[in-house]
Amino acid sequence: MKRSVRKAGVRPTLRSVLGRGHLSVALMAVGLAGISLTLLGVLALRVYAHHNLHLIARSINYTVEAAVVFDDSAAAHEALELIAKTEEVADAKVFNNDGEQLAHWQRREEGLLGHLEAQVASALLNGPINLPIMHQQQQVGHIELVGQGRSLLLFLLSGLGGILFCTILSAFVALYLSRRLLGDIVRPLRSLASVAHAARRERSFDRRVPEAPIAELNELGNDFNALLDELEVWHGHLQNENATLAHQASHDSLTGLPNRAFFEGRLSRSLRNAARQQDHVALLFLDSDHFKQINDSLGHAVGDEVLINVADRVRAQLREHDLVARLGGDEFAVLLTPLHSREDAERIAEKIIASMQLPMLLDGGESLTTSLSVGIAYYPEDGDDPASLLNAADAAMYQAKRKRRGQWQAAQTERSAADSSNRS
Amino acid sequence: MTGARERLTGCALLLLLVALSLLAGPVQAGGSATSAQAQQRAKAVTQVVLGIFSYARWPTEPVPLRLCMVGPTEYADDLIKGNVQNSGQPLQVRRLLADDRNVAQACDAVYIGKLDDAQRDHLFQAINGHPVLSISEADDPCTVGSLFCLRVGDQQVAFEVNLDSVARSGVRIHPSVLQLSRRRGAVP
Repeated sequence: MKRSVRKAGVRPTLRSVLGRGHLSVALMAVGLAGISLTLLGVLALRVYAHHNLHLIARSINYTVEAAVVFDDSAAAHEALELIAKTEEVADAKVFNNDGEQLAHWQRREEGLLGHLEAQVASALLNGPINLPIMHQQQQVGHIELVGQGRSLLLFLLSGLGGILFCTILSAFVALYLSRRLLGDIVRPLRSLASVAHAARRERSFDRRVPEAPIAELNELGNDFNALLDELEVWHGHLQNENATLAHQASHDSLTGLPNRAFFEGRLSRSLRNAARQQDHVALLFLDSDHFKQINDSLGHAVGDEVLINVADRVRAQLREHDLVARLGGDEFAVLLTPLHSREDAERIAEKIIASMQLPMLLDGGESLTTSLSVGIAYYPEDGDDPASLLNAADAAMYQAKRKRRGQWQAAQTERSAADSSNRS
Repeated sequence: MTGARERLTGCALLLLLVALSLLAGPVQAGGSATSAQAQQRAKAVTQVVLGIFSYARWPTEPVPLRLCMVGPTEYADDLIKGNVQNSGQPLQVRRLLADDRNVAQACDAVYIGKLDDAQRDHLFQAINGHPVLSISEADDPCTVGSLFCLRVGDQQVAFEVNLDSVARSGVRIHPSVLQLSRRRGAVP
């Protein structure tokens, strides 16, 4: 359980995995090679050292032979020193046949190196060499020789130094190589990740993964790019579809004007804005006079034509930020925002009514004149929510129709009446 | 009166005895030391002489090696007792008179004790030009005649080599022996 927690907690990065892999391979190679070479070298050197010590013993033998025969201690010592001094000998003794020591020579070694040499010699060289001194096939004495471990020690030290140096060097090289390899692997992966991230977060399907130096990564990038291509096409298609659907949902298919749902949404947003900024808004409710008769007598096709014409003419009278919508049947609504004065709304209403006076030329060749009745409701005087404002405008429109068709009428709610009485 | 005289002579005798005993002590000690030393020296001389033989090569290898003692010798007792060389070959030792004419034919080596000059000249005339290895025991300047001259000391028995005589004798001596003698000549 502990293990799984640790696994989940700290995941090794690619860099550390690569670095560790390279490093362990390099260290193992250098270590194995270095240690085995040093061991073999020590073994070979040990054999040679032993052989060399034998040779030295033999040459000492020849040199001290006469001195031993004549039992001459001084001459033996001189001969012994002559040879032992220049060779790898730590200690040399010459004995005559009675076991009496004729000469003794010892290398004077001080310090750590001498101590180490003695240790190495005692550990690696097999004991003192004992060689009989022969004269005329008779033994006249013997010598005892202890080797000096200098060359062995130097070899060991240089071997260890070499291993250390090679280890450090190969560690650096391994780290450098792993970093280079990491760059080759990680750079394509990073660009892949950033492209994927951009596609997911920002829906930007236009970015592509660049080419990678490693074949597998390059293939992965190419596949990813192909996938992105498909996604981009699919996404574009979906967006178009969405836009069409959205337009269809919010617009009237006959006149191309926004429909009631769209208008109500826009109305409530405008009212919220106006409430925040202490603005005024005017809502115009338009209804075509005698439209039912046109529809019944001239047919629905003509009715549709009339509606399209009316929509075009109303739209032409409005300012840039105003909105006209077809609420249904022959009813239209206009939202005037921002509104500086009631006169502006009244003037626009008059312009709309006036725009109807020109006869409409229909497809069938005949011309037709229609008129609109307009009810005007003001925010905030006639209502402070979309429903009450719409109701007020609707009521004003019916009032206008009752009086005389083809006229406009402002709403006369209790509130507006109160306002006007306050004003007077 | 006579009692007094007797007592006097008794006293004198006693004194003499004491004096004698005092004198005799060191003499006795000295005598034992010299005999031990003599033995030591004889042993060392034997070793050196046998060593010289072992490093010498005659034109024809003599078997057995005939060693002749000439004149009174001081340290040759061990030599006479032993009859084997270092190499294990037999050694034949005998004494000759100084004026023996056959010395060159009868001996391969001559160990020379104390001789007067005439005897010495006579001996060397006899062995001149023959392969005879001659060793002088007594003090010899080692300029003429003998191949080897021993210098017998308490610590060591040293020797000198007369290279001229060695060259003329026809007996070959191993260089390491010559080296040993030269070094010894230089040391004292």
